[in-house]
Amino acid sequence: MLQCIFLLSDSGEVMLEKQLTGHRVDRSICAWFWDQSLSQPHSFKVLPVIASPTHYLFQIVREGITFLACTQVEMPPLMGIEFLCRVADVLSDYLGGLNEDVIKDNFVIVYELLDEMIDNGFPLTTEPNILRDMIAPPNIVSKMLSVVTGNTSNVSDTLPGATSSCVPWRTTQLKHANNDVYVNLVEEMDTIINSDGVLVKCEIFGVVEVNSHLSGIPDLTLSFANPSILNDVQFHPCVRFRPWESEKLLSFVPPDGLFKLMSYRVKKLRNTPIYVKPQMSSESGTCRLSVMVGIRNDPGKVVDSVSVQFQLPHCVSSANLTANHGTVNILSDKTCSWSIGRIPKDKAPQMSGTLVLEEGVEELHVKPTFQVGFKIMGAALSGLKINKLDLKNLPTPAHKGFRAQTEAGHYEVRS
Amino acid sequence: MAPPAQSQRSPSPSQPSGKGEVSDLKMQLRQLAGSRAPGTDDSKRDLFKKVISYMTIGIDVSSVFSEMVMCSATSDIVLKKMCYLYVGNYAKYNPDLALLTINFLQRDCKDEDPMIRGLALRSLGSLRVPNLVEYLVGPLGAGLKDANSYVRMVAAVGVLKLYHISASTCLDADFPALLKHLMLNDPDAQVVANCLSALQEIWGVEASSSEEAAMEREALISKPIIYYLLNRIKEFSEWAQCTVLELVSKYAPPDSNEIFDIMNLLEDRLQHANGAVVLATIKLFLQLTLSMTDVHQQVYERIKAPLLTLVSSGSPEQSYAVLSHLHLLVMRAPMLFASDYKHLYCQYNEPFYVKKLKLEMLTAVANESNTYEIVTELCEYAANVDIPIARESIRAVGKIALEQYDVNAIVDRLLQFLEMEKDYVTAETLVLVKDLLRKYPQWSHDCIAVIGNISSNNVQEPKAKAALIWMLGEYAQDMQDAPYALEGLIDDWEDETSPEVRLHLLTAVMKCFFRRPPETQKALGSALAAGLSDMHQDVHDRALFYYRLLQHSVSVANSVVNPTKQAVSVFADTQSSEIKDRIFDEFNSLSVLYQKPCYMFTDKEHQGPFAFSEELGNLSIGVDDQRVEANDEDLLLSTTGKEESLSQQTQGALLVSLDQTEPAAAHAQQTNLVIDDIFGLGLSSPSPSPSPSPSPLLKLNAKAVLDPTSFQQKWRQLPVSTSQEGLISPQGVAAMTSAQTLVRHMQGHHIHCIASGGQAPNFKLFFFAQKAEEPSNFLVECVINLSTAKAQIKIKVEDENASQAFSNLFQSALSEFGMV
Repeated sequence: MLQCIFLLSDSGEVMLEKQLTGHRVDRSICAWFWDQSLSQPHSFKVLPVIASPTHYLFQIVREGITFLACTQVEMPPLMGIEFLCRVADVLSDYLGGLNEDVIKDNFVIVYELLDEMIDNGFPLTTEPNILRDMIAPPNIVSKMLSVVTGNTSNVSDTLPGATSSCVPWRTTQLKHANNDVYVNLVEEMDTIINSDGVLVKCEIFGVVEVNSHLSGIPDLTLSFANPSILNDVQFHPCVRFRPWESEKLLSFVPPDGLFKLMSYRVKKLRNTPIYVKPQMSSESGTCRLSVMVGIRNDPGKVVDSVSVQFQLPHCVSSANLTANHGTVNILSDKTCSWSIGRIPKDKAPQMSGTLVLEEGVEELHVKPTFQVGFKIMGAALSGLKINKLDLKNLPTPAHKGFRAQTEAGHYEVRS
Repeated sequence: MAPPAQSQRSPSPSQPSGKGEVSDLKMQLRQLAGSRAPGTDDSKRDLFKKVISYMTIGIDVSSVFSEMVMCSATSDIVLKKMCYLYVGNYAKYNPDLALLTINFLQRDCKDEDPMIRGLALRSLGSLRVPNLVEYLVGPLGAGLKDANSYVRMVAAVGVLKLYHISASTCLDADFPALLKHLMLNDPDAQVVANCLSALQEIWGVEASSSEEAAMEREALISKPIIYYLLNRIKEFSEWAQCTVLELVSKYAPPDSNEIFDIMNLLEDRLQHANGAVVLATIKLFLQLTLSMTDVHQQVYERIKAPLLTLVSSGSPEQSYAVLSHLHLLVMRAPMLFASDYKHLYCQYNEPFYVKKLKLEMLTAVANESNTYEIVTELCEYAANVDIPIARESIRAVGKIALEQYDVNAIVDRLLQFLEMEKDYVTAETLVLVKDLLRKYPQWSHDCIAVIGNISSNNVQEPKAKAALIWMLGEYAQDMQDAPYALEGLIDDWEDETSPEVRLHLLTAVMKCFFRRPPETQKALGSALAAGLSDMHQDVHDRALFYYRLLQHSVSVANSVVNPTKQAVSVFADTQSSEIKDRIFDEFNSLSVLYQKPCYMFTDKEHQGPFAFSEELGNLSIGVDDQRVEANDEDLLLSTTGKEESLSQQTQGALLVSLDQTEPAAAHAQQTNLVIDDIFGLGLSSPSPSPSPSPSPLLKLNAKAVLDPTSFQQKWRQLPVSTSQEGLISPQGVAAMTSAQTLVRHMQGHHIHCIASGGQAPNFKLFFFAQKAEEPSNFLVECVINLSTAKAQIKIKVEDENASQAFSNLFQSALSEFGMV
């Protein structure tokens, strides 16, 4: 059980403090924590779980905001971390992003949310749909409404029906003028290509996102054409386990709005959509570098937002890099980023130039790692295909839509 | 260390200093308090917001308390919430004013809106003012019977809050029985879950003083209740599922059919999107199958995929927590993960702590079939921009080489590292090559050829330099210019800051001298001269020792310095397997992240309040033979006192020593708690046995006196001088019918017991003894677990010189007890 939650700004200021139990945690713990994180060379290197002289601290950092939780008793660590992640997600969802100002402007909402999410140190409801029913988000629509109607309360008058229903993620009486449901496959490709150009690891981490606006209590069944390619799956609590186990069918009553129905992993893919070929040769204090990028296996859709980024080694004193397509930027922290955008049909994009090494360094022994980004709309590279989506128990017919996209996740090419 | 108190914290310049604004607010609130004009709520809301924002910044706004309460008569729920928040924050320190709030909170508890009823009840419980508890009982009772589940859910937690404010009020109102009834019958799963966690805590604390509560606590892990909860598991929220799974992991199913039933029922929890649920399920599965070896292995196979998915799905923070657990499992059963090594490859932008864990796991899973690929991958990191990771990966390559898979190729790789000419790479590699040569002398030929080319000027780090010097000495006959390299190093003696390097230099030049006397004689002379005038005691002593040795007999010196060596077969592991086992028992707890069992990292300050109180019941304090029952209330008082202030140093030190059982005691099974020992040398003890050198005979004062307070004080102040662990022989177990038997026995050896506690199979005893001639004390803590036949002893001494003697004496006394 957690004893206290603090929200710290990126300068270490306490923006919010929520005491959860009778054992009050003094704010000075934040000062201690901040000293710790400053004493580390990179703030992100602070371990997520550390022990202070008085408490165990769990911390996560989102958009520069540190969520810090304290406890004095042994508890499952993932419970603390996972809860903080949920708090961050819910806040970001409510406030339309996370930053210092938005939290300071809406601290009352944050208090209200925390009040419902955790009581006496035990997490209660973290389901966004239910919270939304209890505390209205401060969006433009509700602001407009409040101006028009003169009712300024952002708290609904009634308790959400779901707190007492058997599908806790869904309110009971939902009515939509247009019934529609969209299923979106969002995949991330994690790839390592080693210095010999060998594909060492290539796997996909994917999420089935569903955006549902359906009236009543609909019952949905989603099936895949090739479920056997999935290596491991995780489900939203609404998914019934037995149909999946026996027939690989996703049967569920959806929450309202956008949610992650399922996440999955597909291992051991053999192909990547694009290639990135770095070449380096050092000679008497300078290093020639060239990077070629091109389509390897045409996914049939446009490969967009292609970018290559890498860190210049410390011993490089200056770099002169140009590209025949796209723009090259070298940032002050020695990060070099080459944004290519769409790969042209007629030529292969290439970046080349020289790196001047520091005096006394003859050859470049430290090899940079190139991080590659891309985005493909309309294709799921894992090959996962949705077979069909059945809707049952609906008062009116609904519109169905399917989409897919693949992005580069941790996609790295070593040189 | 103590951070500045809150009040001393100066607000930053951009923030209002507070005073003027607060009195302004006070005025404005007062004006609004009685007003019923339309729009009052809006202006109130703005003011309330200001008050709360000051409170949030850290400005003390307690002075507007009465105005806030006056303004609280409103139907606006946001205003109410802000008011509740304010009141909850300041009531504890303004108990008189808090009385003002009772009225409106009680009225709100009867509101027709269940949300307001719930909020009011929650705030009422959060006031935490002891003399107001009487006002809490009525609303709580009504809340538990409320028609709305939201209110019941709040009320269940409210009971727990009440219990912590005033346990007697809570018990007198018979709330636990009500909670139990609700837990078993309520249709709402969240109410059930809240009742369960409240009951676990209340009975956990009460169990020590009341037999009835102890029985109730046992009943929670009885078959009917466990099955009742398991059958409803899918109704619970994800967090409540964690609580239930934790409870189930304490239940011991009587037969394997039941184990399989439970696992079948819970299998889909492994696919839950919440990592905490997955990990709690994994813990349960591992615990259930501990005694069924083949099923246990299947469980490993089954949990592999969910764990690996969790690692790749979450944020870096979640990944780290999961990886730490994966790390533990990989270290226990590396071969089961051998085929998954690719998942452990490091990604470029992962934080250092994640990469480090992955490297350790890669090292562990290496076997004949995958070594080549793993080493290839590790070598890529050696050229990485990230220097700490480059170092770690070179060490990992070395460790794999020591595991003797494919040594041939690895030695080549290591030698390639040396050609990279990066100082840190060279440094790490030298240390590894040295270790490798100690284990595989047959590789010396290949290595020496490369090592010989390294100029000692390029090596700066002491460890690497020492390694290079060791090799120069050891293989002087194979390296052409070893004597001259050493001579060069000796010339720079004055500039060498590390005593370790100077020590190695002395030894190396000695070794070299016996192999190539004419070339080394001069170097040896200057080394001995430099060593004799060295400021460092060890260096000086060694130089003197070599000098006298050479004076005495050159051939003897040769046999001392250059004996025939045996290749090292196994390097000592840093963590004993018992410790690893113990961390495994604490799966899904902080122990796993710290890679230490909880007793090693928790001390008094971190001791949880609940585990604390639980511990006290099992303890009784005895002065000599007069056993006095510890006054529970006193000890509890000191416990709460501790939580009030940061400077808990005033706390009873006796409590400190109880840490061993620490917070996890609340859930970890008691039986596995204690491992370490010292009982006698005959034990299968992994710790270094005391030196065989006869120590001066130690006489103890037969009539030593020490009062408990000074014992506590000394125990707190002194460092642990000896800490040992081992097994108790069956005879020892049989003799240990109660703590008293051991106490009487030890008294025969003039070692007196000051406090003892526990019941079979767990005992904890504190002993003390005094030297016969002088008032120098020895303090001993002794933890015995009969069910695992393990014991652990910690000795603290005032006179460090007598430490060994006393330790021997204590052991022999114990072995006479029949424990060995």
